[in-house]
Amino acid sequence: MREHQQYLIEREKIDYFIGRGYRINGITENLSGAFIEFNLKDVKTDEISNETLHIQTANGRKYFSALLLKQIQSVT
Amino acid sequence: MADLRTNLAGITSPNPFWLASAPPTNSGYQVQRAFEAGWGGAVWKTLGDPILNVSSRYAAVHFNGQRVAGFNNIELITDRPLEVNLKEIYETKKKFPNHAVVASLMVEPNQEAWHEIVKKTEAAGVDGLELNFGCPHGMAERGMGSASGQVPELVEKQTYWAKEAADTPVIVKLTPNITDITATAEAAVRGGADAVSMINTINSLAGVDIDTWLPVPHVGGKGAHGGYCGPAVKPIALNMVSECARNNRINVPISGMGGVSNWQNAIEFMLMGASNVQICTAAMHHGFRIVEDLIDGLSTYLDERGILSVQDIIGKSVPTFSDWGNLDLNYKVVARINNEVCINCNKCHIACEDTSHQCIDMLNDPNGHAILQVREEDCVGCNLCSIVCPVDGAIDMVELKSDLPPMTWNERQSLIGSLKDRKVTK
Repeated sequence: MREHQQYLIEREKIDYFIGRGYRINGITENLSGAFIEFNLKDVKTDEISNETLHIQTANGRKYFSALLLKQIQSVT
Repeated sequence: MADLRTNLAGITSPNPFWLASAPPTNSGYQVQRAFEAGWGGAVWKTLGDPILNVSSRYAAVHFNGQRVAGFNNIELITDRPLEVNLKEIYETKKKFPNHAVVASLMVEPNQEAWHEIVKKTEAAGVDGLELNFGCPHGMAERGMGSASGQVPELVEKQTYWAKEAADTPVIVKLTPNITDITATAEAAVRGGADAVSMINTINSLAGVDIDTWLPVPHVGGKGAHGGYCGPAVKPIALNMVSECARNNRINVPISGMGGVSNWQNAIEFMLMGASNVQICTAAMHHGFRIVEDLIDGLSTYLDERGILSVQDIIGKSVPTFSDWGNLDLNYKVVARINNEVCINCNKCHIACEDTSHQCIDMLNDPNGHAILQVREEDCVGCNLCSIVCPVDGAIDMVELKSDLPPMTWNERQSLIGSLKDRKVTK
């Protein structure tokens, strides 16, 4: 698969979680690429659900970095 | 016509083109001829205890039809007595009072030795001194030249000793044969240097004769490493000048050299912080009269831009030169092939397919003609295709507007690091 296609798939997965209100809660980068830890707090129960996404493409890593910037700027 | 006069730490010259300390500045005859040709200054071939040279001293690297892409020498400092050189310096300065005459000096790392040569040389009327901490061969084996220049403490101490005795500006010439030239440049500044100059030559072996199996050049069957210079070293020299120019602890003027071969190269060095340039190989290749082209090209460049003085371009590009970590990760350029200009040699396709990111397709247009097309979404903007393309204008690198905000690596890592403090845990 062309890397751009792989990036589009990764971007779609990231957007899926962001679109459902998940926030980026942690980033772990290692030899395998990046692992984004998303979480979503249930406003009624205060339960936190976690999801992890493995990002392998360089453009995918740039993309979530931009979303992280946006997330942090929206808080501060 | 723009004002080409320059001032390096108080040493003025009618233009920024100086001959570097090397064979072209071995004698008064040569330096005076150079000044008559139009050179603004000259750094006299290094004075010190007269040495013995070997025969067979130079070698050149010719590449793909270009003569002297690189130049290698194993010649040492002056082989003439100090008094002979000083007499000629005196006569030269008397004849050309407005030109810069700087004496390159090299002695053992000893306070008295530095004091003695500084005083004697200044008495001949030089405009400044250049301490040679860069010569990589022969003298280095005796603890001088680059052997001194690779040790910041020795650079600092010897600069200090020279400054103790000097009344004229002291320029410290640095060796590139070191991992980080800013370390020795800073040491020179701590020692009191009025300016630094760079680069001296790079350790080199020009080649090996594959028929005789002897090094090039060889001296009766044996060779030794020499110093490399000429056009091939220009990017190395330019980087070292730039690194020093953007370092705020190196707050003295820089005289730039290393592969300066034309007026365009000179402008590059000056934009990156050099107050003037020194030239050797190009003069050795083409003669002193190349200075006419240098002056003409620089003047026209400045006049066309309405720049009144060459001093106005010094350092203007330095703020654009930074660390990799400060570059925008989301800036994007892609290759675009102009098929009306393209000669369909396929070099771009081969380069991209074999050694880059496999994003140039070989297709046919509606008329069945072979064309090359870039898949822009897969292009990383490496520039390789445009570099290997033999036809000007066949490939343009065009900027694409990114849908992501500007972000450097340093900013990104800082952002990710900040997440640790904000982390929500169950």
